[in-house]
Amino acid sequence: MEILVCVKRVPDTAENEIELNSAGNDIERDDLVYSVNEWDNYAVEEAIQIVDKVGGTVTVVTVGDEDADEVLRREMAMGAQNGILLNDEAFEDSDAMGIATLLKAAAEKGKYDLIMTGAQADAGYAAVGGMLAAMMDLPYASLVNMVEVGDGKLTVGREIEGGNQEINEIELPCVLSIQTGINEPRYVGIKGIRQVSGIEIPEFDAAGLGVDPATVGAAGAKTKRVDYFIPETGEGAEMLTGSTEEIIAKLIDIMKANGGLK
Amino acid sequence: MPLIERRDQDFLLHEVFSVSEFSKHEKFADFNKKTCDMIITEARNLAIKEILPTNKLADKENGHPEAVKLENGQVKVPPSFHKPYKLFCDGQWLAMCDDPEFGGQGMPHLLAMAAGEYFTSANCSFMMYPGLTHGCGNILATFGTEKQKQLYVKNIFTGKWGGTMCLTEAVAGSDVGALETVAIDQGDGTYKIKGNKIFISGGDSDLVENMVHPVLARIEGAPAGTKGISLFLVPKYRVNDDGSMGEFNDVETVGIEEKMGIHGNATCTLAFGSKDNCIGELIGEPNKGMKYMFLMMNEARQGVAMQGLGFATASYCNAIQYAKERIQGPNLMKAVLEGDLTGVPIIQHPDVRRMLMSMKAYVEGCRFLVYYLNSCFDKATVTDSDDEKTKWEGLIEILTPIAKSYCTDKAVEVASTGIQVYGGYGFIEEYPQAQHYRDAKITAIYEGTNGIQAMDLLGRKLGMRKGKPIMDLMGEVNATVAKAREAGLEKIADSLQAALNKLGEVAMTLGAAAMSEKALDAFASATPFLEVAGDLVMAWAWAERAAAAKKAIEGAKKKDVPFYEGQIATAKYFYEQLLPTAVGKMDSVKNLTGAIMEIPEEAFVG
Repeated sequence: MEILVCVKRVPDTAENEIELNSAGNDIERDDLVYSVNEWDNYAVEEAIQIVDKVGGTVTVVTVGDEDADEVLRREMAMGAQNGILLNDEAFEDSDAMGIATLLKAAAEKGKYDLIMTGAQADAGYAAVGGMLAAMMDLPYASLVNMVEVGDGKLTVGREIEGGNQEINEIELPCVLSIQTGINEPRYVGIKGIRQVSGIEIPEFDAAGLGVDPATVGAAGAKTKRVDYFIPETGEGAEMLTGSTEEIIAKLIDIMKANGGLK
Repeated sequence: MPLIERRDQDFLLHEVFSVSEFSKHEKFADFNKKTCDMIITEARNLAIKEILPTNKLADKENGHPEAVKLENGQVKVPPSFHKPYKLFCDGQWLAMCDDPEFGGQGMPHLLAMAAGEYFTSANCSFMMYPGLTHGCGNILATFGTEKQKQLYVKNIFTGKWGGTMCLTEAVAGSDVGALETVAIDQGDGTYKIKGNKIFISGGDSDLVENMVHPVLARIEGAPAGTKGISLFLVPKYRVNDDGSMGEFNDVETVGIEEKMGIHGNATCTLAFGSKDNCIGELIGEPNKGMKYMFLMMNEARQGVAMQGLGFATASYCNAIQYAKERIQGPNLMKAVLEGDLTGVPIIQHPDVRRMLMSMKAYVEGCRFLVYYLNSCFDKATVTDSDDEKTKWEGLIEILTPIAKSYCTDKAVEVASTGIQVYGGYGFIEEYPQAQHYRDAKITAIYEGTNGIQAMDLLGRKLGMRKGKPIMDLMGEVNATVAKAREAGLEKIADSLQAALNKLGEVAMTLGAAAMSEKALDAFASATPFLEVAGDLVMAWAWAERAAAAKKAIEGAKKKDVPFYEGQIATAKYFYEQLLPTAVGKMDSVKNLTGAIMEIPEEAFVG
C-alpha cells in the first residue's frame, strides 16, 4: 500500500514557555524549540505498521521552510521511506485551505492508496484532513483510533463524543485523520538517524507543484487570525460540598454525565 | 522536567568543541550537524519519557516495592526497567562508539557522551546495567581471540547478554593484587575458576539471557601481587561453538547488598565454582590481566565522571525549577525601601542565588571537562600524525583521574547544595533531591576511590613519559589564555595564567617530593593536589566558555542573549570568588605538610 502522511513542524509545548507576540495575534515564534506535531507522529507510526503488514511504502510530506527538513528526516529515521518538502515563500501564512491545496498538489504527483494526517496541529483548525479529502473527492474519516486493512477497503475505528466508539468501513483510496493513542509510536534509534543523514529530500515550490501562488499563502488565505490571547481564569470551578461519601457520589455522577465513566 | 540544560550542551558541542567537524573524517562521515542534533534530541526523548520515570520507582528509600530482588539465585531488577532496557538496546544506544561490525554505531565519543549524559541523569542505577555490559564487550573486542569476538561481542553490544567487571574480593578491595580467586589449568585451553567476588555491580539480571564476567584470577603457581593476575572470560551459561547457550557454568549470585543509594542496581556477591564446575577461558596472555582490565577500568572511571556530572546536573536543574517556583519571604530591597512584604520566588534571595551560581559553575565546568576528555578520543582517531595521537592519548591519561575524582566530589557537593536550595523539603524523600545525594556518594568510592585517583595522578600520571601529558595539558590551558586575551577578557587571561603557573610550581614540588624521602608527605597531599588541579581545569573551562560566549553574543538571537550573559557572569563569579580560594589552596599544598605522617598512630584514639 502506498501511503502519504502529512506532517507538520510545530513548537514543542514541553520545551518552550509560550509567550504572545507584541502584535497580540500569535505566539512569539522566534527561537522556539520545534518538533513533529504529536498527532502526525501517531499517523506515521500507523502507516509504518500497515506497510510492515501488507507491504508498500510510506512517504511523509510537509509544508515549511528548510528547517522543516528536520521533521521529515526524523520521521524517515522512524521508518518512512520517502520525504517531500513543499517550500516556497508564497506558501507562508497559508490557511487550512491553502495547506490542503498544496498537499493535494503533492498527493497528485504520486499514486497513493491512503493519505493520513494528524487529527489536528498547533493552529487548531483540525480542518486540513477534511478539506484535503473534499478537494480530492475522496472518502474521509476523522479522529481515527483503529485501522484494519481489508481488500480494497479499511475498517476504521473512530472516537466519538462521550468516549464512545464507532466502527466504519471506508473504501480506498481515502483520507484519514489520526487520533493520538491509536498506537505507541516507536522511538528513533541511532541506526535510523544515520541512514537518513546523507539523504537529499526532494523539494517543490509553487511552480513545481503547479499551484497558482495567489491561491495559497497569505495572498490566498480566506481566514485570518485577528486576535490571540490566553483567557482569564474565570469562575468555572464547581465546589462540591458534603461528606466525603456525598462528594464522591456527586463526582461519579459528573464524570458519568461527561463521559469519563461508563 | 528539564533534566539537562540542552542549550548548554549545544553550546559545548557546536560552539566550543565543534563536534560536527569530526564528520570531515571518513570514519565519522555520517555525523554532520543535523545528525548530531537529531541524536541528542532522540536521546533526550527516550531519557525523559522512558528512563527518568523509573528512577524513583527503583529507589527503595521511597518505600516502593520495585526494589531489586534475589530469588532462587536469580536477580530480578525493578520491573519498570525492562521496557526502557529493550528500547535502549533497540535504539542502538549501548555501543554508540564501537565498530559497526559488532553492532556498534561508530559515533564520536564527544557526541556519545552528550547523549549518555541524558541517560545517566535520568537513572544512573538503570544505566549501570548497559554501561558495564559495554565495558565488558570492549575488553573482548580489544583483547579477545577472533572466536571470542565472534561468539560474544555482538551479543554483548546489542544488549542481548549482560556484562560485568569482577575485581573486588573480601580481602582485595583497593589492593587488587591480594585477590585469592584461582584458575586451574585444565590442559585443554580452559581453566577451572574458583573464588568469590563481591560488590559486582549488575552482577546478575533478568534483563538478559546470559551474563558474561571478565574475572581477575591467579593461575596456580603464578607470582604474587598484580604481576600474577590473569583475566578470564567466564559466562554464567556456557556458550557452545555454534553460539548457542550451553549448561549452567556454576556462577552463582549468593547475595545482593543493602546500600545507601543506587538501589536500582544489583550489587552482587558472586560465587565462582562453588560446585567445582566453573570453566573460564583466558583473555589475552597469562599474568597480563591487570593491563587488560585497565582498559575497562579507565572506561569505567570516565563513565563514573559522567555519572557524577549526571547527578549534579539533575540536582541543579531541579534546584533551578524549585527556586523559580517556591515563593517565600519578601524581596530584601523592596521590603526595606518600599515596605513591600509580598513573597517572591526564592531565586531572588541573594544566598539562594549564590547557591545556584556555585552549582552552575561546577556543573557546567565539569561538563566541559568530561566533554573535553571524550573529544580527545575523537581527536586521536582523526589525526594522521603519531605525535598528535600520542598527545591526545596522554591527555586522556592525565585527565582521567582528575575527571573521575573532581566530578564526583563536586557531584556530592552540588547534590548537597541542591538539597539546601529546597530547604526542609530537600530532606524529605518525596522530593527528588535526597535521592541524588544518596546515589551520588558511591561515585567518589567505586572504580578506584578518589584517594586512589589522587595517588594515580601524583605517582603515575604526573611523571608519565617524562611529564609530557602534564606539559600538553598546560599547553592547552595556555592556548585558552591567548583566546581569552583575544576576546578582551584580560583579567581572566591574567588570572588563568597566574593560576596555571602556580599549579606548575605545586606539581614540581610535589612530584620531586614523591621521589624523595618525603614521599609519604607528598602522597598525604595527593588528594588536595588533585583538587587544585581540578580547580585549575574549572578555571580553564570558564575562560574557554567566556571567550566563546563573548564572541557569540554579538548578533546573537534575542533568546540566546541571557545564555551568553550567563556564561560571562559565571566566569566572572568563578574568577572572583572561587579561583582565589583555589590559588590559596595551591599554596597550602605546596607547604607539603609533614604533620599528617608525623602524628603517631596512637594519637588517633577512638
